[in-house]
Amino acid sequence: MAYADLLPEEMRKQLIQRIAEGETAREQAIDVMTALQNHFGHMSDQAMLVASELLAMTPLELEELATFYNFIYRQPVGKYVIHVCDSAVCWMHGHESLMDHLLSRLKIRLGETTEDGLFTVLPVCCLGYCDHAPAMLVNRHIHGELTREKIDRILTRLAEEPHLPTGMK
Amino acid sequence: MPRIVIDGLEIEVPQETKVIDAAERLGIMIPRFCYLKSLGAVGACRVCAVKFLQGPFKGVQMSCMVDVQDGMVVSTTDDEAVAFRRQVIEWLMLNHPHDCPVCDEGGQCLLQDETVSGGHGIRRYKGSKRTYRNQYLGEFIAHEMNRCIHCYRCSRFYQEYCGYRDLGVMQIADRVYFGRFQNGQLESPFSGNLVDLCPTGVYTDIPARYKVRSWDLDRSPSVCIHCSLGCNTVANARYRTVWRVEGRYNEALGSEFICDRGRFGFGYTNQPSRPRQARVDSRSVALSDALKSAAEKLSRIHAASGPRAIACVGSARNSLETQTMLKSLCDGLGLPAPCFFVNSQTEKAVKRAVASLDERVAVSLNGVAHGDFIVAVGVDPLNEAPMLALAMRQAHRRGALLVILDPRPSFLPAPHVHLGFAPGELNGVLGSLVGKALETGDEGKLPPLHEDFLKSLPLESLFKAPVNHGEELDVVLSALQKSRRPVLVCGSEIVRENTPSLCADLALLMRSAKGQCGLFYVLPGANAFGGALLSGSEESSFMEVVESMEQGCTKALVLVESDPFLQFPHKDRLKRAMEKLELLIVLDHLPSLSAEMSHVFLPTSTLFEVDSTFINQEGRVQWSRAVHEGGIPMEQWTEGNHPPRAHGAIIPGQDFKAAGKVLEEIARNMGASGEVSLSDPRFRPGKGASPLEGAPGDRPGDGMRLIPRESSREPFSAREEYFTFGEDAGDSLELLLVEALFGTEELSAHSPALEKVEPKPHMWMHEQDASMLGFSQDDVIAMDLEGGVVEVRLKVSPSMARGVLVLPRHHRLQWQKFRDISVRVPHDRMRKS
Amino acid sequence: MYPQVLFANRKASRIATMEEYCRSGGYEALSLVVGKWTGKDVCAEVQRANLRGRGGAGFPAAIKWLGVPEEADYPRYVVANCDEMEPGTFKDRVLVHADPHMILEGMALTGYATGAEKGFIFVRPSYESSARILEREIQKARDAGYLGKNILGTDFSFEIVVHRSGGRYICGEATALLNALQGKRPNPVKPPPYPTVKGLWGRPTVVNNIETMANVPHILRNGAEWYQGLSRSSTSPGTKLFCVSGRVNGPGCFELPMGITLREIIEEHAGGLQPGCHYKACLPGGASTRYLTSEHLDVPMDFESVAAIGHRMGTAAIIVFDQNTCLVGATLNLTQFFARESCGWCTPCREGLPYLRDLLWRIEKGEGEEEFIPMMRAMCDQLWNAYCALAPGAASPVESLLTYFEDEVREHIRQKRCPFKT
Ligand SMILES: Cc1cc2nc3c(=O)[nH]c(=O)nc-3n(C[C@H](O)[C@H](O)[C@H](O)COP(=O)(O)O)c2cc1C
Ligand code: SF4
Ligand code: SF4
Ligand code: SF4
Ligand code: FES
Repeated sequence: MAYADLLPEEMRKQLIQRIAEGETAREQAIDVMTALQNHFGHMSDQAMLVASELLAMTPLELEELATFYNFIYRQPVGKYVIHVCDSAVCWMHGHESLMDHLLSRLKIRLGETTEDGLFTVLPVCCLGYCDHAPAMLVNRHIHGELTREKIDRILTRLAEEPHLPTGMK
Repeated sequence: MPRIVIDGLEIEVPQETKVIDAAERLGIMIPRFCYLKSLGAVGACRVCAVKFLQGPFKGVQMSCMVDVQDGMVVSTTDDEAVAFRRQVIEWLMLNHPHDCPVCDEGGQCLLQDETVSGGHGIRRYKGSKRTYRNQYLGEFIAHEMNRCIHCYRCSRFYQEYCGYRDLGVMQIADRVYFGRFQNGQLESPFSGNLVDLCPTGVYTDIPARYKVRSWDLDRSPSVCIHCSLGCNTVANARYRTVWRVEGRYNEALGSEFICDRGRFGFGYTNQPSRPRQARVDSRSVALSDALKSAAEKLSRIHAASGPRAIACVGSARNSLETQTMLKSLCDGLGLPAPCFFVNSQTEKAVKRAVASLDERVAVSLNGVAHGDFIVAVGVDPLNEAPMLALAMRQAHRRGALLVILDPRPSFLPAPHVHLGFAPGELNGVLGSLVGKALETGDEGKLPPLHEDFLKSLPLESLFKAPVNHGEELDVVLSALQKSRRPVLVCGSEIVRENTPSLCADLALLMRSAKGQCGLFYVLPGANAFGGALLSGSEESSFMEVVESMEQGCTKALVLVESDPFLQFPHKDRLKRAMEKLELLIVLDHLPSLSAEMSHVFLPTSTLFEVDSTFINQEGRVQWSRAVHEGGIPMEQWTEGNHPPRAHGAIIPGQDFKAAGKVLEEIARNMGASGEVSLSDPRFRPGKGASPLEGAPGDRPGDGMRLIPRESSREPFSAREEYFTFGEDAGDSLELLLVEALFGTEELSAHSPALEKVEPKPHMWMHEQDASMLGFSQDDVIAMDLEGGVVEVRLKVSPSMARGVLVLPRHHRLQWQKFRDISVRVPHDRMRKS
Repeated sequence: MYPQVLFANRKASRIATMEEYCRSGGYEALSLVVGKWTGKDVCAEVQRANLRGRGGAGFPAAIKWLGVPEEADYPRYVVANCDEMEPGTFKDRVLVHADPHMILEGMALTGYATGAEKGFIFVRPSYESSARILEREIQKARDAGYLGKNILGTDFSFEIVVHRSGGRYICGEATALLNALQGKRPNPVKPPPYPTVKGLWGRPTVVNNIETMANVPHILRNGAEWYQGLSRSSTSPGTKLFCVSGRVNGPGCFELPMGITLREIIEEHAGGLQPGCHYKACLPGGASTRYLTSEHLDVPMDFESVAAIGHRMGTAAIIVFDQNTCLVGATLNLTQFFARESCGWCTPCREGLPYLRDLLWRIEKGEGEEEFIPMMRAMCDQLWNAYCALAPGAASPVESLLTYFEDEVREHIRQKRCPFKT
């Protein structure tokens, strides 16, 4: 396994075992890609080849899946991926001006990553937290009832505590 | 059978016919983009909408998704349906480039046709268009994703139908993208079909791209002659150049698809090095003079040394017309019967196959695709008859178990069991497999003869086999026991000469046990069947011809579209023998050593230049029509100038005839007795006309199968000889000279397009054999043989048979130093170089 | 306060434990049924209760289960749909965070009824916390013998696996979900064959929303009559989890009887509209339903009654809009959502939705033209001929915008700007 050897022994074993537990290897494709992107930072071409080896799928077959989903990142992303909900209820609650605020604070455009590599901002559809609109997700961690101040606080905390576990991307 | 009314016309159709197909039978062509009969319906494009007025469905529905049921009344012209279809076209055109004039697909584009015929001409959408980046997909196919209308035909064909995994669908919503993970040559040897099946210009054929417009092309129904299956094609030509070959639907073959060898292998007809000039003793002469000279010289030898001093050799790439004429010439002049095969072991196997095939068991390619258990014996489908591999895959998709019983590494694009046994073991393994499967006897009473044969099968040999296939064999056995529609596929190149008869006997046995069993042979060459049929039982081995030349008995040799140097193992010997000849006449359209050595050279037409007939491996007569009249391609003649700067009254390079015609004139000039007859009784196994008869432009025999209802061969007679094996491998490897997908077949070896993708010469060994000899993958191995040293790169495989050396007869490899075909290479004659 | 069934153990601050669930009668249905009833008996009781699917279409659960052919091969599977990506909908999240074992017991019972021994819970990425809760509680249930091999000492075994989605709306559609779960591209597949005949890996598979499954233990424990009695409607029994969001004082998820009026839900349970806001419209069941205007406030919220006025109850996720909210803008937002989430399989949805979005965007931006209105109407009709239900769902807000708020649309076109923007 030329590419899978790039992984730490422990992780590789875990993944191989998880794959074996499924009814088929393919079933685990998303989980494996998620684990790899947590490890590599994003699903780089190299990570795709690792996944391809582990899952006995071709890179193309994985690409068919990777590019379908919202939460697999085929391009480099920051340490924290911020998905800002732009669906109806958050829209009604002023998501646009919050998004503007977020972007101007981070000095990036939508879809970009901050220069320090900490934050990427992406739009996402309804997160299922409409009762807490407006909402956003940071590495699969939800933040609701957003205001400018709350966003500032979240960003500050994440930026100031570089050792905070990043959780799952 | 359900009945349906479509636009006021009633039709009865078989169960499970889609409404869209029922309409087509009535001559109503409902638009479609995603639907393709061979791929099935998926209802993605939504352009086949019609209105259901009565019956179990109501309202607008997709006609490709609904099976005809009794009582259905359907309108294709209903306002609502028409409005919807029109809307679909508008949607598809939102992002489509409006540049048909510069698109290579223009003029043969389904999207263009439907857009124009649907009346969509005015753009309402104000948004901007989506654009994509294209990919490099290799040497065959160009990619222009902006033209995609997302019908999903390509990905479904590529992955589901063919089983290759490097082209597919990526992204989501209106960004969906069809392509590869990264730039690179498509891995599928069926990739060329993307050109045909893409309804727009995303995939276009690189050799023809920007060379011609479709409306300028002459097109004609043709047949592929790059292997024995005879897939149906459409040939496209302009200005004396064949530009493109496309697939053509044939019910018996089951699809409109062809392989890339068949699609891109036509370059031999256009190549600048094609010999187009008649020659006598190295002087260029007019064809008529060369013909006269050939007849004179032959007559002289005929008179001086008698008819037995003249030998005629045809080939499996001859058309049936040519073969027939050659046979008649020999008969008429009292010459020895013509020989159509250089390799006599193959010849014997082919003849046995042809003699065994009959209506009781013969199945067509589509029959293979519908079998529920396919065992392929001594055949390598992907390399020898590529479309067979796809037919087997379709059988797999319908639930069949596929078994390959063959020494070579196996590349079938479908899950299968590969039993890697050496050629000498195939009979035994197959015999015991069938014997074991039928042993339980719950199949009902067999006729005594069959019962005896069953009892004579060697039940044990399979399980004593040296290779450990234990679990797989159980799977195979139980599948064969359950099978209701088994099919035996049998090769003819590497098998023992009696394997084809054994397969026929086993097929008959299984038929009486199961009610049905298919038999499908793969033969070496497009018209090997014709050659075997015409040489019949007469033994006319090429080896005898060689010996006779050596002894000086054969003084004249006529080679008809045949270059024995490509097949004969001992080049120097053959060359010496031919140099002794008083007269060598060569008729061909390919450049060859034989042609160079000839005293009289007579250029002949190719498939594309004359109507011709070929009999495929199941005995099916297929007629191919000329697409142009031949001559030096305009491109070559004008040295790239267009239009040509010089004009003349004659077409340059057109001084040739079909080989059959050439032979006919020689025969006439020599005053051959006996009518040359195309109504040979061998061509009429049943009733009906000979396939070669009929008015020009009308061949009633086209598509008929030249096989008897019951073969006259005595079944089960060769029992004893079948199962003699046990040749010990000793300290040598059995050499198997084999066919490869690209690079070995005689005609396509001249194709510039295929040359770009053909692999380098290589050979295969079992990994254990290799490691025992101290070799590993990619080592260059020198085989030091009596005739000289052959050097070739090694590939190893874990699943092939042990004790064999598999060597594709690559046209770039001088393998003809082996002295003999059935040769064993001693271990100590091999070393790393 | 109405009787709380699914939310009986719901707490403001934490998740109900397995012990709490058991104390309230949890896993009683499992011991009542397993090894004693046949699968058919279970189906029959659920059929008598007329439990209807909570995933949006209201299809009777037992009828779906009975679609698994008796003689069908094993293994068979059960899938609990916790994808919940319909905008405005968050009941599944609340349910998991309220009482996860109810879902697990419901799944096991569904498995028992249909002969399945393995269940998957399909969870969207933004519900990672739900996925973790479920995984943790599955382990507890297994330790307690409610899941795993030989449940409660019988020969019935049932395993549950949490499957995390990569995140796309279409993955919630049952057939697309099955593709996604198998690691294939999540395009829907038109039946037949139905998943109950050929689902996961070609095996019979029952897909239900997790709320649907959570009802099952209660029905079996308390009987069909009791269940029917929970509802105010004769055709849609039981209680329903209503999500209310938008311009209300108290957005949230409420368990209320089926058939309760829209007015009561908004005004009493969700605390009425925010100060200064008046009710203008709502989407009653997520983004893929039609706007209900103030004329419709008294419609009883159950599948039949909403259908009777030509609407769909969908997921019963009510998004409330006030007089100051531009419905062209809202509809543009919804259309953008659907266009982005289209799986890209069929032409109407893949190409038609971006087209509609473009037209709405132009109208909202002040570039609208009168002829856009008939074009949009026609296109909404055409979207019904798409391959799956996503596109007709996407058409619903647009079409109802044109039906009930055509004036507002025309005003945009006339003024060449959005009248709501100052
Ligand atoms: C586009 C689309 C998205 C859907 N998303 C969901 C979903 O997120 N959750 C869900 O339970 N059902 C969803 N459904 C409905 C499912 O297809 C399916 O009907 C449901 O899960 C069956 O469960 P039920 O019978 O219990 O309602 C969706 C349907 C469509 C057409
Ligand atoms: S590339 Fe061609 S065949 Fe493939 S989806 Fe697009 S239009 Fe269809
Ligand atoms: S399978 Fe044989 S006959 Fe068919 S296209 Fe290929 S080479 Fe030609
Ligand atoms: S309507 Fe068509 S494109 Fe849209 S989600 Fe369904 S299948 Fe996919
Ligand atoms: S041909 Fe029927 S939907 Fe495409």
